[in-house]
Amino acid sequence: MRSSMSPTVPQTPGQQAAGEPSLTYQPHVDICDTGGGLSIRADIPGANTDSIDVAFEDGVLAVHAKVPAREQPGRVLRQEYGIGDYRRSFRLGDGFDGAQITAEYRQGVLSIEVPRLAAVRPRKVAVRATHG
Amino acid sequence: MQTFRAGFALPLEELRDEVDRLWTSLTAAPPLHGWSTEQPTGRFPAVTMRDCDDAVVIEAELPGLDVGDIDIAATADELTLKGTRPAAVAQTGNGEAATQEPANVTWLRRERGTGAFERRLSLPVAVDASRVEARLVDGVLTVTCPKAPESQPRRVAVRAAS
Repeated sequence: MRSSMSPTVPQTPGQQAAGEPSLTYQPHVDICDTGGGLSIRADIPGANTDSIDVAFEDGVLAVHAKVPAREQPGRVLRQEYGIGDYRRSFRLGDGFDGAQITAEYRQGVLSIEVPRLAAVRPRKVAVRATHG
Repeated sequence: MQTFRAGFALPLEELRDEVDRLWTSLTAAPPLHGWSTEQPTGRFPAVTMRDCDDAVVIEAELPGLDVGDIDIAATADELTLKGTRPAAVAQTGNGEAATQEPANVTWLRRERGTGAFERRLSLPVAVDASRVEARLVDGVLTVTCPKAPESQPRRVAVRAAS
């Protein structure tokens, strides 16, 4: 998706309430189903580990990352993107093990692994040959 | 019997999120726009450029890239950011990236762009290309291009006449 905004128009998120970013962005994600669970990657550059909140409740996985305002000295010549918090939620439904969800943040990418409950994991059933 | 209200709270939450998203998409450029799976478009990554007193500072969001994945070249009046973000691969159970995609993987969403990018930015003033520095922290690249001596503001000392 491309912005139709002129690249030279400066945006001023974070100038409202004492440096608090005022915009919220929906991060881009990759989600794949590996059979044993879901594997989610979200691009949330500029966040830090302590300010990322991943919650799973009633079958909804919610991601919220607070992004601190960055120091932006000087005169703006070009501003093609804004800086703000990230928020997105996914309705996963039943059959996932909320207690076993793991999340990791590295190089601006949040990785979340959501395992299925053991009872609903696909199981391969071996077929035995019988003679009779 | 299930009460009506208990079930009502969640859709409202979701509606609020949806309105937030819509509002964001109308009022601001989404981060990481311009990713293309085809040839480099020359429009990725989106950047901010600021003119500080002694340097031109360029910032770009490049999540998922390592320092070694980004090639930065500077001349006196142009900065080039070049690199490749590898295609997303499914992770194996132990959290390691699989070298090959397992057969039983189903992709549900694939929004994160991948592929090669190259962006050339002309700089507003002459910079000292030999002193350009770059940092990559949490997916945010900051390139500082110190201005060449002739483009720096010169302070003129006023001598007191005796």
